Amino acid sequence: MASSSPDTHTRALPTAWTAQDSLDNIAEALDAFETYKKKDVSKVVVRFKAVGNAPIMRQNFYKITASNRFQAVIQFLRKELGWKAGDPLFTYINLAFSPAPDDTVSNLYKSFSTDGHLIVNYSTTAAWG
Amino acid sequence: MASTLGPRHGAASAMNLSTPASTTLFRRLTWEGTVPLEIRVDSKELPANSNRGLECYFIQAARVSYLPLLVPDIKKFLVDVVLDEEGAKILKEEDWWFEAEDGSPLKWHWPIGLLYDNHTIAATIRPTPTTDPVPLRLVLHLALPPADKLLLVPSAEACKQAFMGQLKEADFIRWGSTKRMTSLRKAEQDGIWEGIKEHNFDDYWRVASKVTPTTIPTRSQSPPPSSGSLHTRPPSVDPGTTASAPDKDGASSVRSVPIRIYLPDGPVLQELAPPLLDGERPHTISRFLTSTLPLLFPEVGKQHAYAIVQGVVCPPEAELSWLGACMAGADGWVNICVGITR
Repeated sequence: MASSSPDTHTRALPTAWTAQDSLDNIAEALDAFETYKKKDVSKVVVRFKAVGNAPIMRQNFYKITASNRFQAVIQFLRKELGWKAGDPLFTYINLAFSPAPDDTVSNLYKSFSTDGHLIVNYSTTAAWG
Repeated sequence: MASTLGPRHGAASAMNLSTPASTTLFRRLTWEGTVPLEIRVDSKELPANSNRGLECYFIQAARVSYLPLLVPDIKKFLVDVVLDEEGAKILKEEDWWFEAEDGSPLKWHWPIGLLYDNHTIAATIRPTPTTDPVPLRLVLHLALPPADKLLLVPSAEACKQAFMGQLKEADFIRWGSTKRMTSLRKAEQDGIWEGIKEHNFDDYWRVASKVTPTTIPTRSQSPPPSSGSLHTRPPSVDPGTTASAPDKDGASSVRSVPIRIYLPDGPVLQELAPPLLDGERPHTISRFLTSTLPLLFPEVGKQHAYAIVQGVVCPPEAELSWLGACMAGADGWVNICVGITR
């Protein structure tokens, strides 16, 4: 496992640790994971835009909790549109791509927001499949 | 640099990583990477008269492949070895789905290598972590897919659509639009998926090279080492003038590298990852992790965690642009899995 690179001496390789160091490290790392696991309770403004023949929504700005998965956005949209199970609905970000349903609104907002909104396009047919 | 991401690969820093040979080499290594899977068919769902005791299927699966693409081989195995004629007739692959050992449905739309690495890092936070390489144990169910938990039907076609979505999302992250993806002809878009299905490196890269940035200097000193299909771009810019006139397809010209960070038992973090800091210094994985996860990768002092990409512990000085061009999965994403250093 040890590196043959000349700067090895500057690196604290795990094998050099004492048992106590190791336990402390694991505890600190587990604490850190708990911190990063905390849900992002902030709200994100999602703006729905109809594409093609899809019905337009009377209200199209919604605040959605950032930790929600995109799947929740799709379900919310289906409910607002009165869509029944099986009715086709395709959703896109920025008229460009369909995100994975398990991606979070927070992640999508960080990467793709426009003017403070996450723009979600919806269509009854595959548009940019 | 005082930081460490754990044991490192000495070879990476010793060679010039921007030569055509090494770009092709690392793309090839990524492509050929495999992981061991043990797929056990839920015995409660096996039809009567099945040959029980043989319902375990072992495979060394390609990291860049997907679970639904394994279904034809598993089906053949079941039909040939486990089921009798009657049992084979009532098999309905569209009802098949995969579950992890702990009972959670597996993300059928994640690359298999990511499933494996995600399992590896999750094991590092268990009270008694196993360090021996073991197959990832999966349960295959033949009936009653839990639609709500699987999100979409676990079919190869739905997997392809999800894959294309990921490719486009990566394209958008890199260039701010999906122009490169949408300018591919239908046959090319289908070809890229066929390349994965058939596990054909050349078929995949013939198309993927049109959307993936390159680390190759635009005027290379030597001809490409293997098939010319990887290096279709004509030389246009002097390597020496790259800074002032950056190659538009260069790995450092992207707005951001498509990167996701996976922590044990979730969450998945997606942060913008520009290839250069202050417009000139290469953005390294160590810098990126320190700014994204400072509690795990503090600027000074001991690192509490390590990062793997494609199953390999990443050297801290690895540049994000290089990772994006050489170590991304077939869907264009660099998946960084973080585990605890023990």
